[in-house]
Amino acid sequence: MLLKRYIPVAIVAFFGALTLSAWFIDNETIETFANDDATQFFDIIAAFAVFLGALNLLKLQFIKVLKQQSEWQYSAIAIASFFFAFIIGFFIRGAYFVGEDVYFSQQAAEEAVVAMNSSETVRPVDWGAHVQTDGSLFQWMFKYIFSPLSATMFALLAFFVASASFRAFRARNLEASLLLVAGIIIMLGRVPVGSLISSWLIMYIVAFSVGFGINAYTRNRNMALGWVLGSFGLITGLGFTMGWPIDQPAIFYLPALQEWIYLVPNLAGSRAILIGIGLGIVATSLRYIFGLEKSYLGE
Amino acid sequence: MNNKYQVYAGGIVGILLFTLALSALPESLNFFREEKSAMFAFTLTVIMIMLYEVRLAKSSSEDIFLRTIPGLKAVEEAVGRSTEMGRPILYVPGIMDMNEVETVAGVVVLGHVANMTAQYETELDVPVARAIVMQSARQVAKEAYMTQGRPEMYNEDMVHYVTDDQFAYAAAVNGIMQRDEPAACLYMGKFFAESLLFAETGNSIGAIQIAGTGSQTQIPFFVTACDYTLMGEEFFAASAYLSKEPELIAGITAQDIIKVLLIGFIMLAIVSRAFFDLGLTDFNLITWLNL
Amino acid sequence: MKFLEDIILKLGAVDRRFIFILIGLAVLIPLLTPISLPVRETPTTVKFYEGIESIPKNSKVLVSFDYGPSTRPEIHPMNVGVLRHMLRNGNTIYISCLWPDGIYMALDALEEITDEVNPDNKSTFNIKEYEDYILLGYRPGAEAVIKGLASDLRKVYTVDANGRFIDDIEMMDDIKNLNDFAYIYSGSAGYPGTFEWVKYGGDPTGVPMSSGTTSVQVNEVIPYVQTGQLIGLLAGMPGAAEYEKLIAVPGIAIQGMAAQSFAHIVIVIFIVFGNLAFFIKQRRDRKY
Repeated sequence: MLLKRYIPVAIVAFFGALTLSAWFIDNETIETFANDDATQFFDIIAAFAVFLGALNLLKLQFIKVLKQQSEWQYSAIAIASFFFAFIIGFFIRGAYFVGEDVYFSQQAAEEAVVAMNSSETVRPVDWGAHVQTDGSLFQWMFKYIFSPLSATMFALLAFFVASASFRAFRARNLEASLLLVAGIIIMLGRVPVGSLISSWLIMYIVAFSVGFGINAYTRNRNMALGWVLGSFGLITGLGFTMGWPIDQPAIFYLPALQEWIYLVPNLAGSRAILIGIGLGIVATSLRYIFGLEKSYLGE
Repeated sequence: MNNKYQVYAGGIVGILLFTLALSALPESLNFFREEKSAMFAFTLTVIMIMLYEVRLAKSSSEDIFLRTIPGLKAVEEAVGRSTEMGRPILYVPGIMDMNEVETVAGVVVLGHVANMTAQYETELDVPVARAIVMQSARQVAKEAYMTQGRPEMYNEDMVHYVTDDQFAYAAAVNGIMQRDEPAACLYMGKFFAESLLFAETGNSIGAIQIAGTGSQTQIPFFVTACDYTLMGEEFFAASAYLSKEPELIAGITAQDIIKVLLIGFIMLAIVSRAFFDLGLTDFNLITWLNL
Repeated sequence: MKFLEDIILKLGAVDRRFIFILIGLAVLIPLLTPISLPVRETPTTVKFYEGIESIPKNSKVLVSFDYGPSTRPEIHPMNVGVLRHMLRNGNTIYISCLWPDGIYMALDALEEITDEVNPDNKSTFNIKEYEDYILLGYRPGAEAVIKGLASDLRKVYTVDANGRFIDDIEMMDDIKNLNDFAYIYSGSAGYPGTFEWVKYGGDPTGVPMSSGTTSVQVNEVIPYVQTGQLIGLLAGMPGAAEYEKLIAVPGIAIQGMAAQSFAHIVIVIFIVFGNLAFFIKQRRDRKY
């Protein structure tokens, strides 16, 4: 009980209180602990804990390969990739300089020196710097395997955003309709094509939509038609008077409208959510510090 | 109830006096950062309200009202659905480490979900992106299975490490979803861009999806693609909601009281700023409090 | 009319793979056959540009590469543009990375501008390491790194990315901590990034700073722009394109705008058809 419950809770309470009070106390030792040491303690523990994770990963993949479970071939690739990255990261420098030229192995570099009759010496890249030096195998792996794979996964988002928007943006009620309209304004206003759409076109669309709404609400086609014709006439007259400037009136110009949506209602909503989340984090953290919540220990 | 607010009022006065006293200490004894007095007073107020509410909850026999959170109500429904369909539940506790409060909250909710899966004998799969989270999640899941009297059902490989890298992890979890076709996917923790990858893939396999996160930028993606979403505070209240323990629910009550105080303060600050900007006064509350 | 409604209903229930194909084409075609679209600068980008212009010439600036290959299309053009802009104004650049991938992005950015011809079409940048820039490299620790930089840079960096001792580098002689920089810029794709730089770097030290972020993050970061904690902001690829226009060096961001525009149009068209199908279906269900 002591080891499993009381000591862990005491550790959490002590370090939580110390880190919290460091914000208010003018003492160099406590400040250094809270600002540097505490974070570094965690980073060191996390770095060593990676071994546990890596061993677990290898164990599961090896079992799949040894027992030839379904799709074990992918596990074999995973194991091979793991060891490949491990070996080239820790055991192979992969970059030997002769002047400005880079060679993969020391032997190749020495052969080049002989071939060129050069007085240059072979200079191996420093350990640590070898992971980013041009020409090293690790850098090759990063550039030609890891980067394209990462970019591909991120690129999937473009497709998924499209299918998610298509499925979810339905004007089921007022809030959903507002979301839909705001979403369309932001999507078009944010990109150059939005600045090519005249504010007058938007005015016509708005007038037509209002007429559509009048018809749906009052079931009076004449009223709706009257509204549409009247508003179209008014907009046309205004347009001729003003000379059809593409970005006036600004309230109907998509880039200006999207900027306003970003900076006013969106910002207000973001701030409110941020405050709520912040309060939630404060309350949750205090629950852990005061030992009110011990579920993370398994209680 | 009146008594409670009187206590708070008295407490706030006491805290303000204490803060003033700390600021007035002589130079040789002064270890207190005066410029942070306002935040110090606020922090002590929050602590006071929280501890008092917990004390009240412990001594009271009445239930504290907590509004229904559909996402949390649906967790049991999701577990039940998985049991009926004979398919596993996928639980993703976010992609960050245990130094993030959201991840700790996610691991806590995992404990409750593991209780249910132990009870219903449903398979649980928890791929994680951090080794420390793996250890913590294993401990929580093991305790849950022991509590339910099903230690034989617990297998430590149900919580398994995948990789630290964000998109490699996303690819692995998507692969698990497509191969194992879980009936329910729960995403509880801190997420970044991979949130929509998870949610859309889960949608494509027809799983019921419940998400909870404090990552403000990812909430819209989860709301769009998931069946239920716990937004911000609702996610942090999940542990209290699922455990129904009075002390934890009292923490939520305390949060609400603090929020009301904060709203009052914001209104005061707006009025003060308006007067300052209009030139009616030289006093600006925010500048004076060094906020 | 019924025939048209039936077509719309079919479009409303289209397989998502069809949407994927159209999105793919909408992005691919403009990239293969470049289409030029006018880029309009937003106030936040203009503010960002002016912020960099206001840095005194020949100052020391810190540029942080806090992104990886996945977010490279959005952030990389910004960072390359910032490097160009700052080097053009004679500033010396100190490059740090809070992400392990950031160092590779920094090397690519430097390679890109080193061989570039200056706007006067006569000279290349011809920047030299340890004269015009120094690559400090990646350090783990996220906010701990920034806190360390704010108090004492040598606590965090004892050697640079090439393994050279900091104390042996002349460029580092006058640099003790963040206060010795005239400006901080972070090209950030998430954590650690803009927030951490504002909270632990710019705010406590008072050093002017700004950031370039992904479009998704703009929501979170815009309050800092409003409060002045960030001097302007480059918001995603559109922000990068606007910035490229302002520094008069069109790059990959401007090229990508056509692709992004067409993709957005395709999404909007599908949303409109989806809603039309929804209303038609509702009306038909009501009839029966």
